[in-house]
Amino acid sequence: MLVLTRRAGESVMIGDDVVITVLEARGDVIRLGIQAPRDVRVHREEVYRELQAANREAASPTDAVVDELSRTLRPPSEPDAPQDNR
Amino acid sequence: MSTQAVSRTHGDQMITTIPTIHLAAPMPGFPAHTRFALVRLNDEGLLYAFTSLDNPELRFLVVPPDPFFENYTPEIPDESLALLGYPEAEDVITMLVITAGKEATAANLMAPIVINTVNRMALQVVLAGTEMPVRAILNKK
Repeated sequence: MLVLTRRAGESVMIGDDVVITVLEARGDVIRLGIQAPRDVRVHREEVYRELQAANREAASPTDAVVDELSRTLRPPSEPDAPQDNR
Repeated sequence: MSTQAVSRTHGDQMITTIPTIHLAAPMPGFPAHTRFALVRLNDEGLLYAFTSLDNPELRFLVVPPDPFFENYTPEIPDESLALLGYPEAEDVITMLVITAGKEATAANLMAPIVINTVNRMALQVVLAGTEMPVRAILNKK
């Protein structure tokens, strides 16, 4: 891993058009500003990893699962608020 | 600026198939897949397959949010709308990726697949900063 030391207000460039600027450092919280082209998607790593894991888990269900769900999937009779079971 | 996108999959508006969809950015975890097809799997329009055209062995099951999560009308961030070509609200379809588990089926409310039906660009939009769950119970067995 490349390690650089930067002060608030200083930046790092990644490639030709991604600029990451340290806006503020207060204790162990660092605020970053990120300038990147639209097609470069920027995510907090933990969010991206969680989605990656969720997508992998969702990918390519077996034919049996698909058949069963297409027969049995029904909306709730009483619409529920979204439930979180993380 | 954000636009409300509401999926339309009821009644005569029910979609059957979109043969070629281009992802403006790949789905997290699947960088090599950018072309997909959306195919309805049951008569009620409650279940669809989102299948990779780059490798048809990769498919996801997706559902329209409306029948399952009544008040789900996420605001699509402006960067995502730009990647989709700034669609009109009525040209947008939203689908939720579902995971069939042993005890329950879960839907990803945090990262819906949003499709512009006019230019057929799509994106798994990440609703960062919201409290939307990645695994919301769709139904229990």
